[in-house]
Amino acid sequence: MTSADEALSREVERGMTRPDLLRRAAALGIVVAAGGSLGPLTEAALARTQIRRGGTFRLAVSGAGASDFIDGQHIVAKSDIARLMTGWDRLAYIDEKFRIQLELASELRAEKANQILIRIRPGIEFHNGKTLTIDDVIYSIRRTATKKLGLFGNGAFQSVDPKRMKKLDNRTVRLFLKRADVTLIEAFAQYFQGIVPVGYAPKSFRGGPLHTIGTGPFKLQSFTPGRQSVHVKNENYWRNGQPYFDQVVITNFPDDSAKVNALLGGQIDAMTDVPFAQVPVVRRRNNLKIFISQTGAWTPLCMAVDQEPFTDVRVRRAFRLLANRPQMVAQGLSGAGRIANDIYSPFDPAYAGDDFPQRKYDPEQARSLLKAANKENLTIDLITSPADTGMVEGATIFAENARAGGVRVNVKNVPGGELYGPQYLKWTFSADYWGTRSYLPQAAFGSLAGAAFNETHWDKYPNYPRYARLYRQAVATVDDRKRAAVIRDMQRMEYDDGGHIIWGFKNLTDAYSTKVGGFKPDRGTLNLNKYGNGFRTIYFV
Amino acid sequence: MALWRGIPGFIVRRLLLGLLTLFVVSVIIFAATQALPGDAARSILGRGATPESLAALREQLGLNEPALQQYLDWIGGFLTGDLGTSLAANIPVSELLGDRLLYSAFLMLIAALISVPLGIVIGAVSARRRDTAFDHTMSMTTLGLAALPEFVVGLTLVVLFSTTVFQWLPGVVVTEPGVGPWNYPKELILPTATLVIAVVPYTARIMRASMVEILESDYVEMARLKGLSERLVLWRHAVPNGLAPTFQVAALNLAYLAGGIVVVETVFNYPGIGLALVEAVQSRDMPVVQALALLIAGLYVALNMLADIATILVSPRLRTSLAAR
Repeated sequence: MTSADEALSREVERGMTRPDLLRRAAALGIVVAAGGSLGPLTEAALARTQIRRGGTFRLAVSGAGASDFIDGQHIVAKSDIARLMTGWDRLAYIDEKFRIQLELASELRAEKANQILIRIRPGIEFHNGKTLTIDDVIYSIRRTATKKLGLFGNGAFQSVDPKRMKKLDNRTVRLFLKRADVTLIEAFAQYFQGIVPVGYAPKSFRGGPLHTIGTGPFKLQSFTPGRQSVHVKNENYWRNGQPYFDQVVITNFPDDSAKVNALLGGQIDAMTDVPFAQVPVVRRRNNLKIFISQTGAWTPLCMAVDQEPFTDVRVRRAFRLLANRPQMVAQGLSGAGRIANDIYSPFDPAYAGDDFPQRKYDPEQARSLLKAANKENLTIDLITSPADTGMVEGATIFAENARAGGVRVNVKNVPGGELYGPQYLKWTFSADYWGTRSYLPQAAFGSLAGAAFNETHWDKYPNYPRYARLYRQAVATVDDRKRAAVIRDMQRMEYDDGGHIIWGFKNLTDAYSTKVGGFKPDRGTLNLNKYGNGFRTIYFV
Repeated sequence: MALWRGIPGFIVRRLLLGLLTLFVVSVIIFAATQALPGDAARSILGRGATPESLAALREQLGLNEPALQQYLDWIGGFLTGDLGTSLAANIPVSELLGDRLLYSAFLMLIAALISVPLGIVIGAVSARRRDTAFDHTMSMTTLGLAALPEFVVGLTLVVLFSTTVFQWLPGVVVTEPGVGPWNYPKELILPTATLVIAVVPYTARIMRASMVEILESDYVEMARLKGLSERLVLWRHAVPNGLAPTFQVAALNLAYLAGGIVVVETVFNYPGIGLALVEAVQSRDMPVVQALALLIAGLYVALNMLADIATILVSPRLRTSLAAR
């Protein structure tokens, strides 16, 4: 067995096919025996993967209907996410194990806590043939940082100073931040942080010049919002041998059951979000696979710490003891998840939720806490909405659980437009939903003063200044171990006194036909292994 | 006033009454959409909307104007053929719905072309063979089917013919945008069958009831006594007279189909106005919801009116009594 064989075998794992390998072997000067037989390792790897090139991959997603759009840097509905993933690459991405990997960047690092260096790979082309330069990267960062465009990633770019980006050469730029911010690297690796060409749709995410142009594995061929989009293979894609499909067709289905029927009938190859009740139906089929991703997504119940009765920390602690977490996961999520301990970001290396004592259902203890706070026989409204799986179910079971603690919870199930209407972020007690993030970016979104979605009003908590100080210290600490210690202190504060009841982390339950291969278990926010990493690491077998 | 007399007068009166009904309906639709919680701006921008972008979009969409002004703008536009602009898609509603209206009309048309004659034949034959095994079987079957809502029928057909028992037919309509569903005959079978099953039982039962009455009437007895064959008695003498109430039922059912397609299109993902309505409600796209509700109401009124007129035209007694007034 040669080292060349090992190298080729790795190439297979990365997705090369036999013809590619023969070419590659020739290029590397490896002698291939007559008949094109490769080394044993490579043959084994090829047999294992059985990649077939070509074909049209058909995906069914839930969409927002006529308001669907395609943009390399913004999303609202899942349909928008699936479409973004076809056409754009980022500087870096978050892999299946929730580690940051480089993508368009060959270098992306914090030189200091307030200074970031970005260098891109050479020779990458956009869909229109233009070569990617650092100017495109600078333009992309500025576009996201433009507040009035309202792009999804804007909130994570608070520390970016659009005026202080120094172009060092055609492939390199140095960013001078407004303040120390080590979280920016992860922000660049978010899937919606696509790199777009200079001049790309400057006024809106609903279209504009160049708005379909990216560097990604597929080019947009046609798009009818609310119905369907067709994407064709980018023949010039920079990753060797990828993508495998000739075409990807993404079809909107407003109804989840219709998606399942289409999958059962072989009219589509994969779908997102199988309804719990239909999982057994899909499982019974030999030609279909249920694909479960254990993510860090959560649907908390949020107590506003500055509003009665939650101003008293004993009430907040009592409420956290009134959640029967195993029951909420078993019934509320049909078991598709795992219990949590009031701390978010389970995949952050500094996650401490498992180190603190697991909170258990304890109505007795809750009762005595409420008594001590002089808040017995409480009645309170809990606002929830079917905006995401688990929000209504969790709230309903919690209301049931709370009765044993002498608390009457009236669950108000309202449409998403009302929960997220004018009263949003003003409710006293409400449900919400979040995807998977690391701790510091999540805190910036949901816990800090001025955070876009500060649903618990954590900044009104008397001891908040300490939390804010710890945050500033953490984002300025480049050393991972030291930073982890600071983050741990922050989590302790939220664990003891915070306003979130985080009862579980959810799984994503998708399904695909066994004709398709290449999906890997993924911890991220996105369905179907980030849609097969933008439909480039999956293939027909 | 000759215009108010006779059959033309009847038609004019019915037209005016229909318009009045539509006006009332339009007020109700508008009031209902106003009362719905949540707003389009929030729904378009998603949870990540900032207060500034929300305010700007509300202004742009005219959501800040007084309700009466919004109503007048809407109904005025409607009367001049301007259905407004979809809040979600940012294109004219007429453009958004154009194809979809056609697709839904096509589905309704083939369902009607199959279900009305089928209902009439089943009803007539059941009456002719009253109290036979055929009649009893048909009675039980139609009663059972009439009791089932369309989504149950639709999903049962999917389970039977598409997913679980047999895998013969596609259970979902996946069409390319811009390509009419008539290019996918196989995909159309189950949605059409669902609509047919929803309509046939009513038509058949009414047809049977009126035929039973007619077959016992004096003039049918007379025809029999003249020695005409039973087949001729049934199809030449009895059926034409039994059609009047059936017209009513068929028209009501067609009107009902206009509502039923909302459910059927959702079950089968059929790209018509029903699916558009569901999506529009989900995204609080009020101009689309309002336009579709009013269109469906208009269709209801129109079909009822046509049924009344057709009934008069096929019933000599009604025809002469109106003409004499």
